[in-house]
Amino acid sequence: MDQKDALRMEGITKQFPGVLANDNITFDLRAGEVHGLLGENGAGKSTLMNILYGLHRADSGKIYVQGEKVEITSPRIAVDHGIGMVHQHFMLVDNLTALENVILGIPPRHPPLLQLDSDRARFKKLAEEYQIEIDPSTPAWQLPVGDKQWLEILKQLFREAKILVLDEPTAVLAPSQVLQLFKRVRQLVAEGCAVIFISHKLDEVLEVTDRITVLRDGRLIGTIATEEATGPKLAQMMVGRAVSSDRMPRQPSKTKKKVLEIKGLYCNDDRGIPAVRDLNLIVHAGEILGVAGVDGNGQRELAECIAGMRKPEKGVILINNGLITGVIRDQSVLGYIPEDKNKTGLIDGFTVEENLVMKTFDTPNFTRKGILQWNAIREAANDLVEEYDIKTPDSTIAIHNLSGGNQQRVVIARELNGEPALLLTSQPTRGLDLGAVESVHKILLKERNRGAAVIFISTELPEVMAVSDRIIVLFKGEIMGDLDGDTADVNLIGELMLGHRDALKAAGGAS
Amino acid sequence: MIKRELVKPRMDSLWQTTLKDIVFTSARPVYAIVLAFVVSAIMIVASKVNPITAYVALFQGAFGSLAGLANTCVRATPLLFGGLGIAYGFKAGLLNIGAEGQMYAGGAAATVVALTPLPVPAVLHVTLAVSAGFAGGLIWGFIPGYLRAYRGVSEIVVTLMLNYVGIYFINWLVEEPHPLAELNTTFPQSPIIEKSAQLPILIKGTSMHAGIILGVVLGLILYLLLRYTPSGFKTRMIGQNPEAARYAGVRVEKQILFAMLISAGFGGLAGASEVLGLKLRLFDFFAGGVGYEAIAVALLANGNPLGVIFSAFFFGALKAGANKMQIVSGIESSMALIVLALAVLFVIAIGFGERRLRSKRKKDKDSTERGIRAYGD
Repeated sequence: MDQKDALRMEGITKQFPGVLANDNITFDLRAGEVHGLLGENGAGKSTLMNILYGLHRADSGKIYVQGEKVEITSPRIAVDHGIGMVHQHFMLVDNLTALENVILGIPPRHPPLLQLDSDRARFKKLAEEYQIEIDPSTPAWQLPVGDKQWLEILKQLFREAKILVLDEPTAVLAPSQVLQLFKRVRQLVAEGCAVIFISHKLDEVLEVTDRITVLRDGRLIGTIATEEATGPKLAQMMVGRAVSSDRMPRQPSKTKKKVLEIKGLYCNDDRGIPAVRDLNLIVHAGEILGVAGVDGNGQRELAECIAGMRKPEKGVILINNGLITGVIRDQSVLGYIPEDKNKTGLIDGFTVEENLVMKTFDTPNFTRKGILQWNAIREAANDLVEEYDIKTPDSTIAIHNLSGGNQQRVVIARELNGEPALLLTSQPTRGLDLGAVESVHKILLKERNRGAAVIFISTELPEVMAVSDRIIVLFKGEIMGDLDGDTADVNLIGELMLGHRDALKAAGGAS
Repeated sequence: MIKRELVKPRMDSLWQTTLKDIVFTSARPVYAIVLAFVVSAIMIVASKVNPITAYVALFQGAFGSLAGLANTCVRATPLLFGGLGIAYGFKAGLLNIGAEGQMYAGGAAATVVALTPLPVPAVLHVTLAVSAGFAGGLIWGFIPGYLRAYRGVSEIVVTLMLNYVGIYFINWLVEEPHPLAELNTTFPQSPIIEKSAQLPILIKGTSMHAGIILGVVLGLILYLLLRYTPSGFKTRMIGQNPEAARYAGVRVEKQILFAMLISAGFGGLAGASEVLGLKLRLFDFFAGGVGYEAIAVALLANGNPLGVIFSAFFFGALKAGANKMQIVSGIESSMALIVLALAVLFVIAIGFGERRLRSKRKKDKDSTERGIRAYGD
């Protein structure tokens, strides 16, 4: 092996029950480089890094640090080998000071007392070197997000980490902070650190890395030098096929009835950061609108606004000319398949039948004179179980006994049963196997043909292209382009997903 | 090849469903109680007493005579009301540990009405007094309910702290020269309440009053409310998954407040029944920790209102029989508390074990399913 390698992971294989998370992956990291690790959700990036950090044990494979074979059985051993990890979600204790957070977990040199003064001096020296202005005595909760991130990195520097893993480090940062982060990452590398940069944002990886390794479905697809990489090439490596869209055949829709209208919508995400900006959109009956975009560009917030679960900062949303002011309970108006079915779409401790009537239990069908009609509920539930082929021995068993695919069917059955005018689906195929994905696509098309307006939000570009009549691309909460599904070009969409709106003009673009 | 099982429509009557509920949900507490008696027996043996002797005495004290039986019921009554309220809170995901304070609030409100001579029939007077008790608890519950629902403040802390406020507010009320105090007595207490506002005695010569009947009836109503009304459905939704409840269009905040009010109202009833049925006047520290014991009663019943009826009786019997046990065998009557505490711990432990077993089975099942599918591809 090469002496220049800071780290080499060789033939790493990890099997989880039912999933081969890492399949014979070999990955090397040179001293003084930023190495991008790219892949979709579930491609195996996190598993590989968790193995490196001692959170998981590999079933087979070897790890070399600075040319030396090591056994990493716990995070502590990883730290001893100079491996530092900055998690996507900060691991800071809010009410400890910046300094206390940094020394947390480091055994004091002269126990039992802490040597805060000398630690403080070292903190200040390091901070000066990297031009970070964090007062060591500020409580962590008072720090802005960008500083918190830098504090995490400082934590690793304090431990003299030589190999730094940054897991989705830009997820929480504003654009100006991202630039600053990149500058500091460069500085780190210049000082002799090696950095692994995990992301699924192509443009950032292209900007900051020296080499890029792409994983897909737990397998290594390849490692290329960043100079030779382009956005479309990486996208193709990530999703596997030269993204061809086998479009599902369809009749052109006859009506042009406006179902959903959004005017000047602004809304924030859970942290209060603007997530959707000045969004205007019309969706007609009998069309499937695909919403493409890299995860975290406002898709979730847009969906929640339409469903009435999130309050817009500004703007109006109309369904069938009715203003949306709260959660829509009328099943003939909106069917909503939420992104996270187990957290939002289903109640784990409830039975199949209770989950099926979660939105309709107090309608006259199921409640008479203030009393729930369990027999009517059971009959209706059994009908749905049969119609949607939900595999369960009985509709009175708890929903958590069902497999993931069948749980998804329960959500679909409930949301489609009222024949909604607008069907809003957010990542409805996430986590499903191929057969199940295909059946979801068929259902969407069937609903379209029935005359519903369908919104299909997905990060899976091939799926969006296969299913949609029209495609919009979201980037940082704004619509980058509004394209016709039949003629949309994958490269153009790829550019738009990166926020390159100019690409539209270059392509002589639609609307 | 997995054969798809046919879905047979299965229709149960109200009574069948209720019966099934009782059978399925009572298994765990019954095991827990048996285990609690076994472990307590070890402690009794360690005190060089035959546990059989002690337990027989305990049983005789609770059920061996009419007086014992009446005593069991009397002691079960406030536990039943309080336990029902707490259990209803559980169902909504609320941990109301303020039954003690709600008892004082309800007791005081009931006393005010019961002290007032009203020109109405006794039935109406006592009904008004009981309702006042419910209202008193409800007002006490509005504070933590509102803070939890609309301000996100932990109801655990607020209900607990309000207990002290309730206890000492009532101390103040019954001390001369404050509003409810009886004049010229040595004890801080209110005058005896009007005869027409007293809960009727059911068995002559004992102190068994009608509160127990009201409690059992309300327990059944609460069960039916949870299972058979849209409001109960919503309550269970917010208890299980508030995010999903919001998604389904439930106004979660309103429902949380409602659940807390009902829960606290029952705490108020516990206090009212003690004043109107047993103590016949308000005095300081009259609840004596029953509000806390009611938490154990609700836990033992796993939050099921029907279960609360049984567990309240069980605990009432333990308390009633403990004296006789002490006289006959010399085992301290506090042994009853140990048995109850152990039973609650075992209920929790068994529940934990069941969940682990369940998730393990699910995992095995899921991986087998995936394995089959992968093989089939």
